[in-house]
Amino acid sequence: MKPVLQVNSLSKIYRVGSIETPALREVNLSVHSGEFVALAGPSGSGKSTLLHLMGGLDKPTAGEVWLDGVRIDGFSKARLAHLRLWNLGFVFQAYNLIPVLTALENAAFVLELRGEPRETREAKALRALETLGIQNLAHRRPNQLSGGQQQRVAVARALAAQPKMILADEPTANLDSKTGLALIEHLRTLNREQGITFVFSTHDPRLLERVDRIVRLEDGQIAA
Amino acid sequence: MFNLFSLSWRNIWRHRGRSLMTAGAVGLAVFFTLLYLSFLGAMENGIYNNLTASVGHLQVRVEGYREKREFRDRLIPGATRVESQLAAQTQAQRVVALEIPALVAGETRSRGVLLIGDRRPPPLRERFIKQHLVEGDLPQEGDLEGIALGEALARALKVELGQPLYVYAPGTEGRGAGVYKLVGLLRFPDPAAEARSAYLSLAAAQELAAPGSATRIELHFPFTRYAQDAQLGVLQTQLAQSLGPGLSLESWKEASPAIAQVFDLLTPLVLIFAAIFFGLAGLLVLNTIYLGLLERTRELGVMVALGAGPAQVTRMVVLESLLLCLSGALVGAALGLLTVAALSEGLSLKALFGETIGAFGLPEVLYLSLRTQDALVTVVYTLATGLLAAWWPARVAARLEPVEAMRFTA
Repeated sequence: MKPVLQVNSLSKIYRVGSIETPALREVNLSVHSGEFVALAGPSGSGKSTLLHLMGGLDKPTAGEVWLDGVRIDGFSKARLAHLRLWNLGFVFQAYNLIPVLTALENAAFVLELRGEPRETREAKALRALETLGIQNLAHRRPNQLSGGQQQRVAVARALAAQPKMILADEPTANLDSKTGLALIEHLRTLNREQGITFVFSTHDPRLLERVDRIVRLEDGQIAA
Repeated sequence: MFNLFSLSWRNIWRHRGRSLMTAGAVGLAVFFTLLYLSFLGAMENGIYNNLTASVGHLQVRVEGYREKREFRDRLIPGATRVESQLAAQTQAQRVVALEIPALVAGETRSRGVLLIGDRRPPPLRERFIKQHLVEGDLPQEGDLEGIALGEALARALKVELGQPLYVYAPGTEGRGAGVYKLVGLLRFPDPAAEARSAYLSLAAAQELAAPGSATRIELHFPFTRYAQDAQLGVLQTQLAQSLGPGLSLESWKEASPAIAQVFDLLTPLVLIFAAIFFGLAGLLVLNTIYLGLLERTRELGVMVALGAGPAQVTRMVVLESLLLCLSGALVGAALGLLTVAALSEGLSLKALFGETIGAFGLPEVLYLSLRTQDALVTVVYTLATGLLAAWWPARVAARLEPVEAMRFTA
């Protein structure tokens, strides 16, 4: 079966003046449709960088990124934005909700960017909030929600757009262990029931017990 | 449920105080622009009415009359025929005048004057009387004995109403001299004009200096607003073609070139002032929008990461700037309209600046009103301010790299 996401010999070097810091070195990875994959490793191992490159949020110094059989690492800024909008969902460590929007509006944000009609996006966003069990918080603003509730809204935002794949950067890092585990259970259920492909980074060993595959990174390389 | 419009609206009110101050600056710019433009419109109409009432919208003269020194060279050949011809061609009211350089003497003193004999249709005669007559009457049409003088001239000659005046018009083809009774005193805004003006009926002037002749035929059209003046050019071209050789048809602007020049400067000056107001307000808008973006860099990074393209980010920033400008503009426009409405009953310049106001051809009372072009100029300035102020912040926002932006801390 053809992988939905594939990276070949991917390298990323950050340059500040004359100082070069390699973040990824010659990484090769394939993710297949419906997989629930964790990128594990200590801080600074390159998990977030790999996730950003796979999601078209950053450009590699060398190597290739293929999404659904299309090489995307050379795409323009606008084309990458279009690709993310229609194909990928993102969940960030710090929730990153828009403070002037309600939970329902935040969940519908990507659909608004896609230009979907009001009724459709409202229904899809509400369904996503229901899936995560927070439909009763639909009209609250982020500052009226707890950290766990905010992170579930962020997942609902990714989910409402029904992407091919959701990339999550340390989604449980800011949550207590109970809330973090509950969130991972939610993601796992979505993966099983809806077949959504998940790739997320974490360094929490308890979460790693619930994944299909663990990709361990060390010093910017996949550990043997 | 939100959309890009409501998101932009909510974004600009995150810092209520800052946005209110910026919107207030735009509102002030709109308020003053509307007020200045309506003031300008009223001023233009007032000056236009004053000028055209005194010199006519169009004037028939002998070609090159300004350079002609001899009285007889300034006479319109076949004036009666020309007047009849104009009467057949246009519905405009006509004033026929004969201007004679003359010497007027009282019992003890004499002065060189410009003696004007004219025939005015009743509405224009009434207007002239209302504007200039301070005592007595203006010589009636066909009156061969009455004369009216500027007040200053009467004082200089030491004559009073009812007293005789001796008029000499040497070198002319009429009687050349005559005795008249002072029947009226006139006041003019220009003191120099008041000190050298004397008025007879046209018949009396023709009898004195040039039987059947005239030096000027004024055409007065029913145009009361400067905006209507555009029609005058067409009429001028049509009528000028039918006049014989040796005659010219001048517009009021050509007849009063100095004032016309000032007149043409009014609009550009007000537009420049308005542009300065909007420019300053625009700097505040730019500052507010840019600071707002800086504070939301992380949030913008997330939007871009989620799939907002450069065009969508640009649209949001431009929309924020426009909404900020328009919200201030609405308040400024409402205040401006209320002020203009309050002054539409008349703003007395005479009360503000005194009697001298008329000396510059300015109207004594301004009737403020808003014209379509004033509203249009204000809308264009407001939109241009919003767009120009958004240009740079939008450019910066559209170039944000999502990963860098999400790491940003203000």
